[in-house]
Amino acid sequence: MLEAEVIQYRGFHNIEENGEVIGFQVCVRNNYYRGVWLSQLRPGRVVVDGEIFPWDTIIWNINGKDYTTSEMEERGDVFWRITDVATLKVMKKGGLAQGFHDVTVRFGVSCSYMPPEIDTFDDNAEYNTFFGGTYTRRMIIV
Amino acid sequence: MMNKIKRGVSLYSYSGEYGRTMDLEDCFKDMYDMGATGIEILANSHIDSYPDLSDEYLEKWRYLCNKYHIEPVEYGHWIDTRLYKNRLIGDEEAREKLINDFKIANKLGFRILRTKLGVIDGQLTPVENWRELIKSVLPEAEKYNVIMCPEIHLPSVLTDKFVADYVDFIEETGTKYFGLNIDLSVFQNRFDIPGVTVYAPDCKHSQPEDIIPLLPYVKCIHAKFNKMDDDFNELTIPYKEIINVLKEEKWEGYLISEYEGENKDIPGYVSHELRKQHVMLKRLLGY
Repeated sequence: MLEAEVIQYRGFHNIEENGEVIGFQVCVRNNYYRGVWLSQLRPGRVVVDGEIFPWDTIIWNINGKDYTTSEMEERGDVFWRITDVATLKVMKKGGLAQGFHDVTVRFGVSCSYMPPEIDTFDDNAEYNTFFGGTYTRRMIIV
Repeated sequence: MMNKIKRGVSLYSYSGEYGRTMDLEDCFKDMYDMGATGIEILANSHIDSYPDLSDEYLEKWRYLCNKYHIEPVEYGHWIDTRLYKNRLIGDEEAREKLINDFKIANKLGFRILRTKLGVIDGQLTPVENWRELIKSVLPEAEKYNVIMCPEIHLPSVLTDKFVADYVDFIEETGTKYFGLNIDLSVFQNRFDIPGVTVYAPDCKHSQPEDIIPLLPYVKCIHAKFNKMDDDFNELTIPYKEIINVLKEEKWEGYLISEYEGENKDIPGYVSHELRKQHVMLKRLLGY
């Protein structure tokens, strides 16, 4: 089972490649009540201790596969289930330092049965709806 | 004599806990306590291998239905017309997804589908090409023996033009594979009760008797509820009048509970509210 918070403690750590720390990853569950096709996902920014990592620089790993945000826009055939996490990979040389970090993730989903004018996601605004918004959690790197 | 109106639960009710503090079997156990005999699942939420149906899931599904005496009643699925950011879903793509859902529903034992169409405005008018889309899959619906039912939900009312259009479509095509799912939110007449989430404060509502001419087409009813008191009354929807109409008109089918109130993510909260609602339903039905 997943943690109740959207941002999961489990899965938060630095990413090491060829002996070098190249970034970090954070896992999120989808707070919407149903799973979505990747093209319905509206990925937003990641913010750590005030440092902004723009939405289109983040790699989303879903069902064990890496996707760029532009790749996801065309995947109306790959499904993200509500019982699975997405692993967000963020590039940052040296990764995050040991200790506490305030981590924020923004994303939403499109739902066609809602009126078109409310079926939107804004990466520049902080808000929460049942189909997306801003999620924050205090996390620890060991 | 068989009871004509039966009680069921939509797993949507548990969406604040599902996958976190409750798993699929917990939902079945909860329903069994209430004497609910029918279930609605949302394909996109409650099938852990979706859009495929794994052998493991099918086996677990049959085991749970058998163990807790629950019958598959309604299979919720979507036509996500705004599938892409800058363009609509293609006709063939929509067809493929629909047929995939027909196959899964059929294997799991569902006959009624709650087919959620994309909408184009604030009154939830369906996409303009819904007739073509539905027509294009009627042969497959017949093959897999499933009835597509769009859901009529607040802020729509039963007298909206598109509801009459659905009825005309059924009459004109003579199809047995398209019907209606009425969500009782269309009768909600109180928006001022503390603790009730209000999405559309100024919306119109239908009168209980408005459902009568539609009943021959109504395959399933969502027993939407927002707030129960401790005397087992629902405070926002005139349940007594609605159930009386259904009984008088001898409607047959399932009332599928759908909790839309607050605190869905507090463990146990929804289970408790569902029990209250089912006390009310048992009393109103008389069995």
